[in-house]
Amino acid sequence: MSVAEPPATRSIHIQNMIPIAISSYTTSNAAGIGNAATAHALREGRSGLVPNDLEWAPLPCWIGRIADLDIDDELKMPTTLREFGCRNNRLALLALGQDGFVAAVGDARRRFGTERVGVFIGTSTSGILSTEIAYQQREPQSGRLPADFRYETTHSLDATTEFVRRVLGLTGPAMTISTACSSSAKVFCLAERLIRLGLIDAAVVGGVDSLCHTTLYGFSSLQLVAPDVCRPFDIARRGLSIGEAAGFALLERSSPASAGLQLLGYGETSDAHHMSTPHPEGEGAGRAMQEALARAGLTPGDIDYINLHGTATPANDRAEGHAVHDVFGEAVACSSTKGFTGHTLGAAGITEAAIALLCLENDFIPGSPTTENVDPETRCAIVLKGRQGRVRQVMSNSFGFGGSNCALLFGRSP
Amino acid sequence: MMRISVDAVGVLAPGLPDWETARAVLARQRVYVATALDSPQPESLAPAERRRSSPTVRLAISVAEQALRQTALLPPDMAMVFSSYEAAGVITHQLCEALAGSREVSPTQFHNSVHNAPSGYYSIAMNARRAAGSVCRGEWSFAAGLLNAAAQVIADNLPVLYVCYDSPLPPPMCEVMPVLEPTAIALVLTPGNGPASLATWDVAIVPRRGAAVWPDWVPPVWHANASARGFAALESITNPGGCVALLPLSPELDLELTRC
Repeated sequence: MSVAEPPATRSIHIQNMIPIAISSYTTSNAAGIGNAATAHALREGRSGLVPNDLEWAPLPCWIGRIADLDIDDELKMPTTLREFGCRNNRLALLALGQDGFVAAVGDARRRFGTERVGVFIGTSTSGILSTEIAYQQREPQSGRLPADFRYETTHSLDATTEFVRRVLGLTGPAMTISTACSSSAKVFCLAERLIRLGLIDAAVVGGVDSLCHTTLYGFSSLQLVAPDVCRPFDIARRGLSIGEAAGFALLERSSPASAGLQLLGYGETSDAHHMSTPHPEGEGAGRAMQEALARAGLTPGDIDYINLHGTATPANDRAEGHAVHDVFGEAVACSSTKGFTGHTLGAAGITEAAIALLCLENDFIPGSPTTENVDPETRCAIVLKGRQGRVRQVMSNSFGFGGSNCALLFGRSP
Repeated sequence: MMRISVDAVGVLAPGLPDWETARAVLARQRVYVATALDSPQPESLAPAERRRSSPTVRLAISVAEQALRQTALLPPDMAMVFSSYEAAGVITHQLCEALAGSREVSPTQFHNSVHNAPSGYYSIAMNARRAAGSVCRGEWSFAAGLLNAAAQVIADNLPVLYVCYDSPLPPPMCEVMPVLEPTAIALVLTPGNGPASLATWDVAIVPRRGAAVWPDWVPPVWHANASARGFAALESITNPGGCVALLPLSPELDLELTRC
């Protein structure tokens, strides 16, 4: 006779998770289109940020722009998906075309079946630029929007998810996660849960966010945009530089024999503090990092590098520095790569997840190309100049408006 | 397949000011009568926050408060999943109007424009510090959010508050996104079948079987509201014994709820 299991407790008890295999990934951002170009920029310490030259948003700031997107060429859209034509979906298509990602998904589709592969995409503003333009073209008398304006396939937060799903020919469960700047980190957590529960065998996760008036003028109204380039953790930092980016990763159930890149853990918490300001001590951020370690069954000493959220606003970097110090002390190498890419908002999670994976594959720790003098209040080991070094486990932090925190933990099994 | 229980329900829509009224309509004990919904005033928001927040935030938090009044579970002990097709609603209109003109955007308007503003305000009001998801899946947002919430209930063995809502859009946005009346549903979901549970569901992803059917009493004007798909789920709570609800999840899939 078997002994009855003790009743499950409702107090938060983080169980170790079985790692999830990452069989393909890709990032396109201002520092580089595709993984190789991005890795090259990271090694060279070359920022992708430029003084803002957008004619349609003349603000005194720097931006991380992908030049190819300014060509409004709907012919680049697959003919059956032309209704999805907008800056955000062009960016998604550009990124999908890199690093053999479409072929890798095709392989997963054959191995698991199209209905067993999910699609979970993070974004903060999707194709809102299309609605902004439509509002500039309203019929003066009636106030009507132009007849050819399409909301569902451009601006809807789900438009890019549906577009990506159709481009990749997948029919598994799909959804968009929109928790501001943690959006495309949290898609990893959702995918892990659905894979663990056996509802799917694999998932395409990712994030896409493109430049638009809403974020450029919105962050400016909050006085969070730097007039010069963003300088994460610098004593003289004055705010963020907005960038656009897209990236994707293919996650799969791992077998005990799986080698290669893996999602080892994650933590998701809420600050419950303020809509647009982080908790001053980074309380929620710290809990997210601890939860990620607990899920992975690792200790702070096991982490070789932390890719910080590090937006370069005074309050954000101070709070994150406190939180990292509380969990890790000052020993672990840290940097924010937003000096390379800008703050890519809803795409920041996937962009920095991809950078974490590049670090694991190349045994490389990126520096901080725009940071000169580290704020002594930071209290963690900010790496200024990139360097080679053994990298086995990397944490990536993403925190968003609404106090929405997510820490991801990646590793490489030999 | 996932087995979850529903411990509490909140409903807000014109003619359905609470779960008691909605339950009677769903059980066909009462005829649906359309009456305007009073503008929701969440008690948990401090007056300053209530003024700063958007109509969507007030709708989502009010319907959540209704569900919370029926359960002994406390907000800090729950994870949260919020879902909506267009959560910013009237804020999107105000922002795009400002951006097409003076380009002067107010900071409050901007932070209210994020899709997760309802879950952000809620977590602050309730001191809810666990994971907060914020989902959009277009017209399939009710089922997608419920799938996300149910997976979290089972995977992390936690109670989860699930809230899905649609707030009316002003012209000209309502020409392209015709949400004209507010509808909102909140569910407190738990693992296992406790004494407090109203119903237990087996939740499964199944191939789509034809067009999803709206309950006959649902006013056609709500067919644009993704959250109104949830009334089919609530119907299965009022109807014990083998009742199945099919909620559209994508062009190819349904989320199937089987009452245990």
